[in-house]
Amino acid sequence: MERAGPPSVHALGLAASGAALLCASFVVPLGMFDCPLRAETGIACPTCGCTRAFHWFVRGDFGAALHASPLGTLLALLCLAHAVWTLLRLLGLPYAPRLPKPTRALRYSAGFAILLNWVYVALS
Amino acid sequence: MQAELITEPAGTPWERRDELGLLSGWLQTMRQALLEPVKLFSSARLDRGSAQLGFAVLTTSVFSAIGQLLGLLFSGNDQAWTQQLMQYVPADSPFMPYLRSQLDAGRHPHSLLRTLLPLLATPLVSLVFIYLNAAVTHLVALLIGQSKRGFPATFAACAYACAPLALCAVPACGAVIGALWLIVLTGVGMKVTHKITSGGAAASVLMPYVLCCCVGGLASIALASTLAKMLGAQ
Repeated sequence: MERAGPPSVHALGLAASGAALLCASFVVPLGMFDCPLRAETGIACPTCGCTRAFHWFVRGDFGAALHASPLGTLLALLCLAHAVWTLLRLLGLPYAPRLPKPTRALRYSAGFAILLNWVYVALS
Repeated sequence: MQAELITEPAGTPWERRDELGLLSGWLQTMRQALLEPVKLFSSARLDRGSAQLGFAVLTTSVFSAIGQLLGLLFSGNDQAWTQQLMQYVPADSPFMPYLRSQLDAGRHPHSLLRTLLPLLATPLVSLVFIYLNAAVTHLVALLIGQSKRGFPATFAACAYACAPLALCAVPACGAVIGALWLIVLTGVGMKVTHKITSGGAAASVLMPYVLCCCVGGLASIALASTLAKMLGAQ
């Protein structure tokens, strides 16, 4: 955590986009649809299930969201956390989270986590 | 001891629109983006995020709105196409209720709100699209170690790469050509703004499409095969 001034234009833009995605997931019944590729071929892509994860996340069913895609659930959580934090910073909170430097170890770990998510989604 | 001279770029014509004028700044930026992209991206200032966002949202929303209005003018053709499609789709297909609702909606004249709502939502949709595109490109660049100058550099590349989306105003093929041009320009922009190799820039931009959006391509093939099966059954 570090002291910070008001949020930058990019922090505001990303927060607005994240909030809009969460709102859209609430309004549009995305959970109804299966991935057309998977339905037709049985092959899952690395981001398969992310749309359904957002759908279940905004409805508070975190179990179903995690089952659909752990990666999608994490992204939805990041969208919510960033939107809420940016709102708090707009209201005067003088702190911002210190982001870790993208070291080689962190990059490889993230790549491995995405691979694990893919294996999980493909097998589930 | 050598002193390194760091010169800040002068800014793109759009970033200097106070001195050039709004229209002239926009036109020069469009010309450079479409014809001299390296020159444009080299002159982009990373501390002008709000100006870059303004350019991208303005260009995308104005031309998308024109495209939507033209789409309304040609909606009669959509009706005929939907009716033709319904002849080929089996009655128990999951697409049938959607097609019926499209046909019903087209038969009744649009209310003013129904017509204006998509137009009013265009700037918000553009903003979400621009940040989503920049965030995904930046995450991939981070993952493969190609983010040398942070998110503002990725954002500058993605924002000015929206210039070809002016083609959204051209009915039918305009949006497709604009989207393909956007991908190419984003690659050029990433190379210049992050000062990375062509391979690194291409990987940053294309990897999301290869990993995720190839689903669209494969889904199109799947849809085409389904349609071919249905047509074969006729």
